[in-house]
Amino acid sequence: MSNEMHARAEKLIARERVEGLAGEEREWLANHLRECPDCTRLAQQTDAALHSLRQNPIPFPAGLAARTQFRVRLRAQELQEREPQRRLVWIICGMSWALGVATAPYVWRAFEWVGQRTGAPKFVWELGFGLWWTIPALVAAAVLLMEKAGRPGESDWLSQEK
Amino acid sequence: MADDTKSLAQGLKRRDPELLDLLIEQYQYRLFRYLVYLTSSRERAEDFFQETWIRVLERGHQYDGKSKFEAWLFAIARHLVIDWQRQKKMQSLDELTDPGQDQPLQIEAQNEPSPLHQVLSHEEEASVQDSLGRVPAIYREVLLLRFQEELGLEEIAAVLAAPLSTVKSRLYRGLEAVREAMQGGAA
Repeated sequence: MSNEMHARAEKLIARERVEGLAGEEREWLANHLRECPDCTRLAQQTDAALHSLRQNPIPFPAGLAARTQFRVRLRAQELQEREPQRRLVWIICGMSWALGVATAPYVWRAFEWVGQRTGAPKFVWELGFGLWWTIPALVAAAVLLMEKAGRPGESDWLSQEK
Repeated sequence: MADDTKSLAQGLKRRDPELLDLLIEQYQYRLFRYLVYLTSSRERAEDFFQETWIRVLERGHQYDGKSKFEAWLFAIARHLVIDWQRQKKMQSLDELTDPGQDQPLQIEAQNEPSPLHQVLSHEEEASVQDSLGRVPAIYREVLLLRFQEELGLEEIAAVLAAPLSTVKSRLYRGLEAVREAMQGGAA
């Protein structure tokens, strides 16, 4: 029996377990294994290895599920309590945006007027107008960041060097 | 199955605590085992176990019910582990688990079902764990997902966020590595 045949059998043994084999290849392998003790041993060793892998017991720590359920419930409660606050932040953001749009022409004129009075270059007061628009978004971002920073217990251990 | 996953997705969207309790119980062994394989540490796996479920609660609305829940769950767990590795200034899980630097899988047994079971299985368990410890973690992970969790190749690719070809090549190499490790352990 040629080395090519053994090499093919070796490949098919692995592929049979990973992806499965089509009829013709499966038949070829079965015939080969009937005649080749070395490849049969390889197939048996592969199966034994996978069997050991499947049977490998990893004991589950007592109380871990209950502790997790407790933590998850606490977090769910916390999220529920914060939901109205978050909604309020979004409502305020929306109102602020709508007011911003409605008053934009007046604010533009106000910035222009201040620019003329102070003699500031045009791009400066235009930049000021642009920044004015970012204020609501910055406030909302700050609120959300503060909320996140104040959240107890989240991933405390993740940031710790172990 | 489609109906099950759809109703599961709806429950997760509602952050239904009863459903989450049920899921934690249902997937506790599988998730913990996966995390132990991924981190090579029981202690760390316990931390990640809790954090994964918190993340499931928070990100439940992202589960669309089109794929298996366990694939989504494992992907969350995997991302948490990778994020943690990055925080430790490690570049990637793959780098961490470089075959040359790979740490043996060390699982201190505790809280076993019974002392009798512990005595009977201790030798075999130690031998298997010792052999598996010699298999690089990137291969251990795919072997676990394929042969213990019985996920499909596409599902594993989704968990790993890797191309199907990568999954297959890791599986073939892993299979070879585990076979060699077992032979070495038996020798």
